[in-house]
Amino acid sequence: MKKRRLAWILGLALTAALAAGPAPAAQDTLVVVQEAEPVGLDIMQSSIQTTMSVGYNIHETLLKPTEQAGVLPGLAEKWEKLDDLTWKFTLVKDATFHNGEPINAAAVKFSFERIMSDALKSPHRGKLTSFKEVKVIDERTFTISLAQPYAPGLYMLAQYLFIVPPGYVQKVGDAEYNLNPVGSGPYKLDKWVKGQEIVMSAYDKYYGPKPAYKKLIFKGVPEEASRIAALLTGEAHVISGVPVHQRKRILDSGKAYLTDQMGSMNYLGLNTYEKPFSDVRVRQALNHAVNRPLINKALFNDKAILCAGPISPRTLGADPGLKPYEYSPEKAKKLLAEAGYPKGFETRLAFSPYMPQVQEQAEAIAADLAKVGVQVKLESFERAVMWDRYKNKQHMMFIYFWDDAPEPDRYMYSLFHSKSRDYYYKNETVDQLLDKGRSTMDPAARVKVYNELDRFLYQDAPWVYLYVIPEVYAVANSVDYKGLRDGYLIMNTAKPKK
Amino acid sequence: MGRYLLKRLWHTVYVVVGISMISFFFIHLSGDPVMLMLPPDATMAEVETLREQLGFNDPIYVQYWRFASRAVQGDLGSSLYFRVPAVNLILERLPASLELAGAAMLIALAISIPLGIISAVKRGSLWDLSSMLGALFGLSMPHFWLGIMLILLFSVTLGWLPTSGRGSLAQLVMPSLALGLSLMAMFARLTRSVMLEVLSQDYVRTARAKGLKERLVIGKHALKNALIPLVTVAGMQFGFLIGGTVIIETVFAWPGVGRLVVQAIFSRDYPLVQATVLVLAVLFVLVNLLTDLIYLYLDPQISYLEEK
Repeated sequence: MKKRRLAWILGLALTAALAAGPAPAAQDTLVVVQEAEPVGLDIMQSSIQTTMSVGYNIHETLLKPTEQAGVLPGLAEKWEKLDDLTWKFTLVKDATFHNGEPINAAAVKFSFERIMSDALKSPHRGKLTSFKEVKVIDERTFTISLAQPYAPGLYMLAQYLFIVPPGYVQKVGDAEYNLNPVGSGPYKLDKWVKGQEIVMSAYDKYYGPKPAYKKLIFKGVPEEASRIAALLTGEAHVISGVPVHQRKRILDSGKAYLTDQMGSMNYLGLNTYEKPFSDVRVRQALNHAVNRPLINKALFNDKAILCAGPISPRTLGADPGLKPYEYSPEKAKKLLAEAGYPKGFETRLAFSPYMPQVQEQAEAIAADLAKVGVQVKLESFERAVMWDRYKNKQHMMFIYFWDDAPEPDRYMYSLFHSKSRDYYYKNETVDQLLDKGRSTMDPAARVKVYNELDRFLYQDAPWVYLYVIPEVYAVANSVDYKGLRDGYLIMNTAKPKK
Repeated sequence: MGRYLLKRLWHTVYVVVGISMISFFFIHLSGDPVMLMLPPDATMAEVETLREQLGFNDPIYVQYWRFASRAVQGDLGSSLYFRVPAVNLILERLPASLELAGAAMLIALAISIPLGIISAVKRGSLWDLSSMLGALFGLSMPHFWLGIMLILLFSVTLGWLPTSGRGSLAQLVMPSLALGLSLMAMFARLTRSVMLEVLSQDYVRTARAKGLKERLVIGKHALKNALIPLVTVAGMQFGFLIGGTVIIETVFAWPGVGRLVVQAIFSRDYPLVQATVLVLAVLFVLVNLLTDLIYLYLDPQISYLEEK
């Protein structure tokens, strides 16, 4: 009897389940599926990309960054440089936060002080340390001053100085704000059902153009095959984290298209403090030994962009005159012989499997190097262990990546300035050029500084320069959306396709 | 009985302290989270400041003492990433884990026990052969592959079920089926072999000789004894399922504890790893205790009162 009842229950459950079916999203709702659910919703408290993508729909900054590392008006409608150390901003009229609080100069000052405070431990603080203070002039105007001239300043403000409502933050505290934020962006938070979805709706008093979709839902689905299935069944409109080998399948389905976003610039770092990589000829030899075009063809369907120097070809300041090192095992052997290694040498190459397709890249590189006599032992490390060994200078060769962001200062300074991470390479000329690039306020002159830096590092070859693998979002055919080079899914520009 | 329970619960304390120490030292030995918490372009000065603020520069025993003394007061710390108390995160996800484990277990038991019994009773028949072959398939299929195949069939091709997520009954079907299938295979094989053994016992022969109906002999006399090893295995499996279904959780975006702890381990979110390990250990011990209590019901000869 009991068994029969159980069978009934199971039968009923299955019928109910089957009747439900996958629910395609409503017409005025846009569903975005990323690799992970956000860790919090206060964009000041996390620098994880999937978290920031959600946060950027709720929060806003003073300016909007452009793909050419410039800025456009945002909450600030105009700004002027008073001197090399001070900018004066004027806010848009009558803009409000989602709870009705006015967006005024006091809110900007509060926001700056909050992000810089010890208590918040904001991961974005480091990007704003060149800024000294915000001074309120009147309700809509204020100045932001710098400690020293900082050329990428406006761009950094555009990316990282999020404006939050002082009244609400002080009332609820940082922990609660991380769960229930109130911003000034095109969407306001309706609810966050943990582990399931974040539901937002268009803010009807938004000062800018109103978003086309009334509702915006973000979900996290870690498995790529499941994300793609959600896109193909119509459960999702936009998905992120689309690996190279799945792109053709999406296009072939005829249900979705791909749009570019930021890419990852992969490189092969060399320990220039140790023999044999202390010799520039060895480093150049390795640059000649790796067959980048073949790796590009075999692993990335020819979609990767080959790099000549350390500045990504899509980043401000890359020298357009530089061509990637020619693939030439003969030149490599000749250079190795000149450096005293006619028979090559043995070394180690570290990588971490969290990077996509990295094992294949490491194997291809090792095979290429073997052809010129360099025998490479591959070492795979878990992410945190890889970092640990990196900072303890234990790697000889290592594959890492960087985002090919539009603005060169942060990453070039961080990777190559001896004051930053002097682990595997140090050079006075490079330090000087990086300092100059940071303080040259004239944009054209600044580009020239980075061109020079790019050329210098091309010659000095502290890395084997590899390629930029462009990342894409996949978008359902019913939606018109163009990905942004900053890598965030800011959805107020998405609209239904006619 | 009460004394026995108290003793068993007291053992839990040893287990929990032991596990907390092992997990604490291992996770701390394998690298710290600060570099992973900051954006990749953070300078070393930023890294050092944050490390100091979080207390990671202190010797490891000082850090353990700090953790342990807070833990006994019920404070397991806050997640470094989520920035909320770790216990809250676990409690949010625990219902999802229990729901999935329960559903998978229900499916597995409901199908495997009858299957195993029939196979044992009709030993050597075509039915026996095909069901055991089916069980072998079920055991050999990797969860991951099975999960994706289910999605492709039921969501992409047929359009019957949603691909992933939690919230509706429809969303529970595929993950619990994918998880339940290998359990089903394991239980069916186990039921069959135990039943075969029990059916050859003297008391079964006696029952039959008494003229009892075959249904009663199998359903009452044989099955109840055959259930004991099954309960042991099912109990262990259930304990494991609460935290160990990370692959299924990943494929179906199921917000369970398994994925939470794996994420926490990869990002070296120490407080969250510690808290999850502790909660899972306690649950595992409790499920085992419950299993032992079910023995009492199944076989009154088993008594814990006489244990010294």
